[in-house]
Amino acid sequence: MGCTDACVFPYPHGDTSLRRLCLEARNLGLDSIVCIDAVERGQIHDVLVRRGVIIETGSMQEVVARVKKEQRTADLILVRAGDGAFNRAALSYRGVHILRGLGSAPKRAFDQVSAKNAADKGIAIDIDFFPLIHQRGASRQKALRCYRDVLRLHRKFSFPLTISSGARSLLDLRSVREITRLCAVFGMEPHEVEDALFTVDALLEPAGPVEVI
Amino acid sequence: MKPRPPTLREKRRYILARIVPHYRRIEARQMYIAAFEALTSLWGDARASELQMAVISCEPGHCIVRCRRNTEALVETALSTITDVDGDRVALHPIATSGTLHALRKHIRPLPEGHTVDGMDIDGREYAGILFMRQKVDLYAKGIKNQETLYFTRDEMEVD
Repeated sequence: MGCTDACVFPYPHGDTSLRRLCLEARNLGLDSIVCIDAVERGQIHDVLVRRGVIIETGSMQEVVARVKKEQRTADLILVRAGDGAFNRAALSYRGVHILRGLGSAPKRAFDQVSAKNAADKGIAIDIDFFPLIHQRGASRQKALRCYRDVLRLHRKFSFPLTISSGARSLLDLRSVREITRLCAVFGMEPHEVEDALFTVDALLEPAGPVEVI
Repeated sequence: MKPRPPTLREKRRYILARIVPHYRRIEARQMYIAAFEALTSLWGDARASELQMAVISCEPGHCIVRCRRNTEALVETALSTITDVDGDRVALHPIATSGTLHALRKHIRPLPEGHTVDGMDIDGREYAGILFMRQKVDLYAKGIKNQETLYFTRDEMEVD
């Protein structure tokens, strides 16, 4: 159990190697990271590395095919958000763990129906603070507006949330203290941030009925 | 003009922020410009004017920023959104807040020393690097324009 950054891109996607990202994550108070297409897994420099895969497509058929293919090798499967219909379908499919990139998705990409689907299937919605750090003006305002809306629906439907930096460099990683401050910009309370940072563990070990062994 | 008595003075807070990478030389003036741009774009002119932000010092590895009391959270948030200063990619991580500079300076850690190495080849490109303790290696692509930086560890570089 630990604070997790739900999406980082090590070299060659970014300019920082996996091991260096782990060193920096440890310094910043993170316990685990989800690395996209990571070649190594397990504890590296006291940080737990999980392998993630991002599916970027607009077709649900392709998502289903990729999920079946990647399920064996990846710990977490992330899907990039698209339009409203695609998101509803993706959030109804159990193989998907996280829907990310809502900050840059089209208008009305996430509504109460999608929220209900996410809550029912236990699929998390990712809050990516990359646009909050790297963008300015209208695009940042759009991301903030979207996250405020996601938060409002989260409070009503209780679907899981994850927080990610989308870091392609160690300079993009942020500490837990900074994450809390950044999330406060769109009204997320510190206890909600804490829950979101621990969500990845819950996604990998979902609560089920009690079994007699 | 007579200075204001201490009870009438505005209370201030000082924020210590770590600069990554620590070897970037940044002038206080450039840091102020970057911090003010971050404050204004995030909170708007009206809110930024209430914060009375000032850069007290900017030394290698860390900088100290002053603001009005009870506004430190806003300033810290804005500092977290700084991505470059004077064209150089940097990150600022606020690490401590205090009411006195004396207390804040206790949080400053000594900087790790590094030594330069030359002639490393990655994917067919030649890099020069700086080796630090705890296995860190920062690499710079050789060339005049668009000097790409890579952040690796010694394990991955197989450097002795």
